[in-house]
Amino acid sequence: MRKLSTVLLAGLVVTAGAGAALAADKTEISVSRFFGACEADYGSVTDVTKANGECGIITALINKFNAESTTTTVKPEIVEWPGYDQLTARIRSGEPPVISVMHEAVISDYSSRGLLEPLDEDFAKAGIDVNDMTDAARQGVTKDGKIYAMPFDTHTWLWHINLNLFKQAGLVDEAGKPILPKSTDELFAQAAQFKEKTGKPYFISTLANETAFYTRTFDTLLYQQNADFFADPNKVNFSSPEAKGALQLLADIYSKDLTTKNQDYAASVSSFAAGDGGVFICGTWLIDTYDQEAKKDGALANGYAVTAFPQIYPGSPRVWADGHSWVLLKQDLSDAQRASAIEFMKFLWDNNYEWSRTGHLPIRKSIIDSDQFKNLPHRADIASLAVNGTALPSAVKRQFSIQDIEGEEVGSAMRGDKSVDQALTDAETRINELLANAK
Amino acid sequence: MTDVTLSPGKATAAVKRPTGASIGPRWSNALFVAPYLAFYLALLVYPLFKGIWMSMLQSDMFDDTSKFAGLANYYRLFNDKVFIGSVWNTIWFVVMTVPAFVAIGLLLALALNRSDRTSATLRAIFFGTSVLSVTIVTIIWKMMYMPGNGAIAGIMRFFGMEPLAFTTTASLALPAIAITTVWWIIGLPMMLFLAALQQIPGELYEAAALDNASRWRSFWSITMPSIRRTLLVVVIYEIVAQFQLFGQALLLTQGGPNNASRPIVLFIYEQGFRSWNLGYAAAASEILFIIMAVAALAQFFASRKRVEE
Repeated sequence: MRKLSTVLLAGLVVTAGAGAALAADKTEISVSRFFGACEADYGSVTDVTKANGECGIITALINKFNAESTTTTVKPEIVEWPGYDQLTARIRSGEPPVISVMHEAVISDYSSRGLLEPLDEDFAKAGIDVNDMTDAARQGVTKDGKIYAMPFDTHTWLWHINLNLFKQAGLVDEAGKPILPKSTDELFAQAAQFKEKTGKPYFISTLANETAFYTRTFDTLLYQQNADFFADPNKVNFSSPEAKGALQLLADIYSKDLTTKNQDYAASVSSFAAGDGGVFICGTWLIDTYDQEAKKDGALANGYAVTAFPQIYPGSPRVWADGHSWVLLKQDLSDAQRASAIEFMKFLWDNNYEWSRTGHLPIRKSIIDSDQFKNLPHRADIASLAVNGTALPSAVKRQFSIQDIEGEEVGSAMRGDKSVDQALTDAETRINELLANAK
Repeated sequence: MTDVTLSPGKATAAVKRPTGASIGPRWSNALFVAPYLAFYLALLVYPLFKGIWMSMLQSDMFDDTSKFAGLANYYRLFNDKVFIGSVWNTIWFVVMTVPAFVAIGLLLALALNRSDRTSATLRAIFFGTSVLSVTIVTIIWKMMYMPGNGAIAGIMRFFGMEPLAFTTTASLALPAIAITTVWWIIGLPMMLFLAALQQIPGELYEAAALDNASRWRSFWSITMPSIRRTLLVVVIYEIVAQFQLFGQALLLTQGGPNNASRPIVLFIYEQGFRSWNLGYAAAASEILFIIMAVAALAQFFASRKRVEE
């Protein structure tokens, strides 16, 4: 009996030792990302099809990779969105992560200083066909003729709609589709009708502690009027009648109480789910979350719709867009680390469909054209975004700082803290000052 | 012990340098202060001068080809409406918080300067907030300030009032940050005042009581003069600390709305880490250093003059 126990114990020790040795043999790479933390819900989920939402899907994807890879362990490092202050500090102190998520709008700031590794050769060796990238994705990650990132998605600005409240407001057609404005006059008329019938504001907006809503909505309204406000990438032009009209529109929406006020991102996201308003202007990443919400009892039950930002100016249906991507930070990496980093990027490339379930547009033509993608909920309603999504010209430097300044000034005018003219002048002055001193 | 004989004529030759405690410099003693001095030079003096030098460069975070710009960054700062706004915001914040720290800290110390169990518990509770991180503090106060479901909004609605949007109203954002800050770190001035109050001999109050002095009279004639130095320490410490407002503003309001709550340190952070404009950020840092030094020195000399009078 004692011998048997000894043998079993020895077997256990050997098995545990072998397991530890195997784990130790795997190369660990750090991956810095935002998208939130949801270990409590998805910490052990490796079946990605069972995950929902940005956080759930990326967590499950990394879990799956770690479970399947025999050579690499990805150690996720979760940062607060957008995370560039932290990334900058880590690069400056010589301790960057191996891989980081990065908006395509900011890649050129880092690549132009030699802080990112070009990836063309690695992608070719790994069998990643860059010709399968969508035009938007490929343009987004290509700087000075080289590919500096693995694109992950294209995301844009759209309208999430509470159909139940729209029905109550009489803003649904015979086919059950929401009736949307085609001009600014229609917008105010429908918003007033909605408020009168439901007692709730037409819009839910993220107006507190964040500038993204202001910038992305304002840019969209400018694109719709064909205003080329960055004709010169070193100088912004907000002194056009189009800019004044767009900002006055936002200020009127606020002053006429057609939107919720003082809500930060978290509050506005849950406010829409709770049925506090008809339209939530936000991004593609919430489609899956709200679609799941519509399957439950609640304010959105069987009553969620989503649409591209309606064209309310007679110029163009274009809308603000950007993309998430994964970059390899320049540092002294061993061959094994670099190989592991490319292995993880290849895994993300192969699983891009799973990420597109969030609501983001995929970055592979083969996935966009697939029935699997087309059959996802609401994708037909936003198909036009693949064509109409518009980013700032890549030659414009410091795009995130510009978005912050623009958002601050647009917000000041929208809330009535300063006049429309003053806000446009201040935005133009501050951005041009920034660009004049940007290398 | 050397026996020294001072006979005439031989005095000079016979006098020897005394041993034991040496007279004159003994440089080996410098070894005692050398570690501190090394760290002081490396971590304070060198960065100070490096910062001054950087403020005269046109350089960014990742560019090694900085060029000398003289006072151009300072000139640009004084024409930057956002920076000027941040200076006034910071001064206004110091004006709001430092008197509050002194007054509330002293009141709490006077009220809790007793040895019973209730006072000890309350002292621990009031000091307890000081150990929280700025992240926790701002999360708590965000929940307080939220105009929709916030605690203050709930109280205001209970009394039939329209809730205020503290963090998104230009005139309320900075006072909201000031209230948060005072709640957060009122414990330290309270403890400093308590320590000072406990140093005052009880006989002084007994003598005053025998002379029928009122409590108010005892406070002004015994308590205040006795804690004068602590008062000075609290005021100067809080001036220096509150000029460095950063985390609360970043997490509660991000400097908004309309630049109404952006302090100088947040401006420096944004210029350095978001716009990568290190020279410009360094110049703003030097301005902050000068303002803090002037404010603290002015308070120090004003207090010393009052003491001498």
